[in-house]
Amino acid sequence: MPARIGKPAGGAANPDGDNNIRTPDATMAFADLTTDYKGAKGAIFRLALATGIRTVLTAGFYRFWMKTRMRRYYWSAIRPGGMPLEYVGRPTEKLLGFLTAVVFLAFYIGIVNLILMFFSFSLFEGNTPAYAVSVVGITPLIFFAQYRARRYVLARTRWRGIRFGLEPGVAGFVWRSLLHWGLTVLTAGLYWPVKTYWLEKYRTDRTFYGEQRMHQGGSWRMLIKPMLHLYLSAALLAGTIGMLIATEDPRFAPLIFIAVPWFFFGLAAWKAGSFRALTNTKTIGEARLKASPRTGRIVGIYAGGWAAMGGIFIAAGIGVSILFGIIFAATGFALENIDEDGYLTTLGNLPAFVPILFGIITYFAIFIFWGVLKEVFITLPVAQHFAETTEIENPQALLGIKQRARDEFAEAEGFADALPLGDAF
Amino acid sequence: MTDIYGAAPAVEEPEDKAVYADYVDGTDPVMHRVSLELSRSHLNIIMPDGERILWPLDEVRALKDQAYSDGVVLAQGFDDMARLKVDNPFVAKELRAVAPRLNRAQPVTNWGRIGAWASGAVASVALIIFVLVPIMADQLATYLPPEGEQALGDATFEQIRGALGRENAAVRLCEDSDGLAAIDAMVDRLAPDDDLPYPVRIAVLDHELVNAFALPGGRVILFRGLIDEAENPEEVASILAHEIGHVVNRDPTRDALRSAGSIGVLGLLFGDFAGGTVVLMLANQLINAKYSQAAETGADDYAHDLMRDAGLDPAALGTIFQRLMDEYGDAEGIAAHFASHPQMIRRIESAQAASEGGEYGLPVITEAQWQDMRSMCGDSHAEQDAPEDDENGGGRIERRVDEPDAGRGGGTLGGEN
Repeated sequence: MPARIGKPAGGAANPDGDNNIRTPDATMAFADLTTDYKGAKGAIFRLALATGIRTVLTAGFYRFWMKTRMRRYYWSAIRPGGMPLEYVGRPTEKLLGFLTAVVFLAFYIGIVNLILMFFSFSLFEGNTPAYAVSVVGITPLIFFAQYRARRYVLARTRWRGIRFGLEPGVAGFVWRSLLHWGLTVLTAGLYWPVKTYWLEKYRTDRTFYGEQRMHQGGSWRMLIKPMLHLYLSAALLAGTIGMLIATEDPRFAPLIFIAVPWFFFGLAAWKAGSFRALTNTKTIGEARLKASPRTGRIVGIYAGGWAAMGGIFIAAGIGVSILFGIIFAATGFALENIDEDGYLTTLGNLPAFVPILFGIITYFAIFIFWGVLKEVFITLPVAQHFAETTEIENPQALLGIKQRARDEFAEAEGFADALPLGDAF
Repeated sequence: MTDIYGAAPAVEEPEDKAVYADYVDGTDPVMHRVSLELSRSHLNIIMPDGERILWPLDEVRALKDQAYSDGVVLAQGFDDMARLKVDNPFVAKELRAVAPRLNRAQPVTNWGRIGAWASGAVASVALIIFVLVPIMADQLATYLPPEGEQALGDATFEQIRGALGRENAAVRLCEDSDGLAAIDAMVDRLAPDDDLPYPVRIAVLDHELVNAFALPGGRVILFRGLIDEAENPEEVASILAHEIGHVVNRDPTRDALRSAGSIGVLGLLFGDFAGGTVVLMLANQLINAKYSQAAETGADDYAHDLMRDAGLDPAALGTIFQRLMDEYGDAEGIAAHFASHPQMIRRIESAQAASEGGEYGLPVITEAQWQDMRSMCGDSHAEQDAPEDDENGGGRIERRVDEPDAGRGGGTLGGEN
């Protein structure tokens, strides 16, 4: 074993290499624990690109590895009190869970969809009712998958070597979700904050850090204020459209240009405000969480992020156009060389698969790059902002917590993988 | 005490400074500030109370895909819950150099179980897609009330007209009354009524595609290009008989029901990763192709019988296919598996086989009726032949018919493939 001679003094011997300076015998700082964020745009770009390409090349089967590796990165970037979160989920358990879910879901989706389609054609002479019923029929499964996925992810997350966990309780979550979402739809969204609070409370109250149960305090009323901008802008938007239809007076039209940006601002305000309100009322035993994300920063991240992504795509589009311009110029481009179906006959001596191959590569390249840029310009900065504005108050209360047993959970998040939930993590 | 020492020949001792790291033992969240020492074979973790924890260097591994890559988070093996966080880049670098198996991947021990579930998943999906869904679709298709089928066919018909049209104008219907009368005469001569679950409704679209297809509910669509391509009315009649065969067998309805079942299942398999839709469509096409090739053969057989019973030569189906194959070629190799239609050469052979031994007399419609049919879309088009652009190699692709909507159209003539 080639053990090496000691480092020269200097860097290696600097005990203050991190920003939590403690004496060697202090086990924990007694001040509030702030959260560092170590994620970097370049690193997430490389990771997302490499895993995204592999996922496409394997017809989607690398996605279990991609998800695992991305989570490892995002988790480890968040360092409350200087210690990174650790994601210990494994790709193969996700694959196994997915296969399990497929066995059950294939039957349900295949046969049930077919029967629904039959009744839809027979009774309603169209396929729309079938799709509608099919969506409704799959809704409980989606809530089921959400809770199970949350349980899996928490069971595979550690901080300071201690596991998180979520108590079994999926049935209660499914019927509550159906009830609260139903009321949200019936009230045209007015009920949204109440739904958000109760579903969050259900999950938080069953969440554990080690053997310590978490608690969601507060009440749904605290989510009304973060929702105000959304309520008012949606009302303005609906009112304006209503007036435009009723009076056909174009003078109402400019209100749209106030209502739509206001609505987007409202989304950011809700994101920041609801996170702040819900986090500030969460407790882990005697320890409390405190969050102070800012609406303005969220608006800035989204506006800047979309602008950057749009700019990069436009620049890439211009680049490709120039490249094509050169190719066309070299091959003798002229309008009369385009036949009536838009095919350039001067390229006709190319084998037919060349344009097809080019089209396929472009199609996948756009998908991959869009996903990668979203990680870089939206997901990572948002995660960073939420992490850096969250701290743990009274952290010494955590010290007595004991490790919890491993939650084997063989199905992992298979149902969430199989159903198109479109969740970020 | 040195920070890091080894067994190699001693050199000048560096300054006596300790190296610190953060350690958690996996039983409680207490973070210990520990100092590190390195021996020939072990990493020594020295707790604040002086207790030493020894990690064999060849068992030390680093957590992967970590955000702070200048530092390192270490563990011993894969089962131990303890973690050692080293943020100091110099120390991390040093440790990376001395731990030989730092970046090894966790061995996968349950490939057997994964394999078993994978086989189970494949088997259950195959059972559903290839057995259950087709059987149920076949059964249910016969129970569908005709009104439901007709509504479905009408909706699809309008979609196809829109999709083939240009600049927001749907493809024009050819509604010349003499031409329609000629088609009616042709159907009367074929006399398929005894077999039909509902009356067949024929429309001619003013489009240069050389194709025809059947939609649910008895709708049959002929393209002007097909009538132009035919050299005699018997060839058009043979195509019509083929499409009526689809209507009799209710193939388009079966297709629609089967797709409803199988697309959702395939969606499960490929998930919503970037571009999954393309893979999904390809897989669906591959599955549909198997069934639709069988449906085409069935429709061909029906057409042969119908023609013979009407005193018409079934070989007409072969002659028009032969011409199409000479012009556009046939799908071979891998493409043949994706093609929704059987290979042309076999269809031609079976048409000729069906023709043998029969006696065929009267033409299907009169010469005057045939001229009415050929001019029913207006004279301007009649002179214009299908574009002869095969020599540029792009001909097959440009002229390929889009499947009207993954299975819902069903039963095309398939001259292109």
